Amino acid sequence: MPFFLVFLMTPVAVAIALYRRDPRRFLDGPTEDVPLRLLRWAVGLLSPQRSEWGQAMLGELGHLDGRLRRTRFALGCAGAALIMPPWGRAAGGLWATIGITAASFTIYAGLIVHYRLGAGAWIALAVVLIICVGYLLGTSALLRRPGVALPGLLGGVSAAVVGLGLSGFTAVDQVTFIPDPWQQWVRVIAVPAAIGAAGTLWRRDPVAGRRVARLAGLSGGLLQLLYATVAVAILGGGGPPDEDGGFTVRGTVSDRLANNIVDLVVSTLILAMVGWAAAALAGHLVRRTPAPAADPIQGV
Amino acid sequence: MQRNRPPSPQTVNVLLALAADPARWRYGYDLATEVHLKSGSLYPILVRLADRGLLETSWEPSVDSRPPRHLYRLTGPGRDFVAALTAARSDRTAARPRRRLSEA
Repeated sequence: MPFFLVFLMTPVAVAIALYRRDPRRFLDGPTEDVPLRLLRWAVGLLSPQRSEWGQAMLGELGHLDGRLRRTRFALGCAGAALIMPPWGRAAGGLWATIGITAASFTIYAGLIVHYRLGAGAWIALAVVLIICVGYLLGTSALLRRPGVALPGLLGGVSAAVVGLGLSGFTAVDQVTFIPDPWQQWVRVIAVPAAIGAAGTLWRRDPVAGRRVARLAGLSGGLLQLLYATVAVAILGGGGPPDEDGGFTVRGTVSDRLANNIVDLVVSTLILAMVGWAAAALAGHLVRRTPAPAADPIQGV
Repeated sequence: MQRNRPPSPQTVNVLLALAADPARWRYGYDLATEVHLKSGSLYPILVRLADRGLLETSWEPSVDSRPPRHLYRLTGPGRDFVAALTAARSDRTAARPRRRLSEA
């Protein structure tokens, strides 16, 4: 039930967010050309320390004429802005996430080779690669935001640990876990909501809270993917028989790997979505709390 | 931590283009065209050079309704770096034929 609720609410929430960000564009359509909109979006992902370079790219684009020239320039700059690494200590978080993703991907590829899973599995691996690169780009962009890296990564680790605690830490637990309704509510509602609200309270800013929730979703999902992929590597086709798995070792391994990817996407979406809503709600409540009255003696 | 890796061939090309007329301020797009680099490669190079203090930047005031434009040129240390780089490259080129001769 909570899964369906989240999936039904996601498009509605995204539409509301887009409308609230710029109501006129939503109703009247875009007023700027595609290269400028693309570059504006990419530049918005840069860290404050690099914002001058974003303005430099936008300034240069403003002096270019011709659709092709502008598009090529904007595409190149957007790519550069997307892959520009975070600033300072947040770069350590990115390298840790890259390491976790690379480990999952390597084990996944190793299992395909070991069990000779065939062409379909290689296509699936290519899809996994695209998903993982998207996750890393998203993580990199969020890590550049001031004050988001630490709470976001802590939130991701917490979500992963709670998820593993509920399912059990053994490899068998990873492939046989079917949550009770209360466990489902903890995983889907309580933990993501706590992370989103904590993110808002940490920075006293709902925007930061929403980013914390998104970063927690991405990093927690990748951490769980690594754990689940290691579990498949340990079990292989062994362990208890799957209800919907194949009857062969290859079919079972392939099915378990595919389940991990589905879990990755679903858990990230849920954490980001529910955490986003909780962050917004916490921000609303924080704003409504009256500020303490100024000291009349100091004010004189 | 400052890393002192040798510059990439693309970075060397950008440095040499800037060093051709070190006093002149250059635009990003013009530099990219001159050294045949895409904007996605040029800007990270410029960012790194500026981080290392080899490049100074400035803003050209906006003209008409167009936005202000970023300008680039080498700093004093940047010029010294290019001079050292050029000297090292010429030393290497001079050393190669000698080695071939000694091998022969």
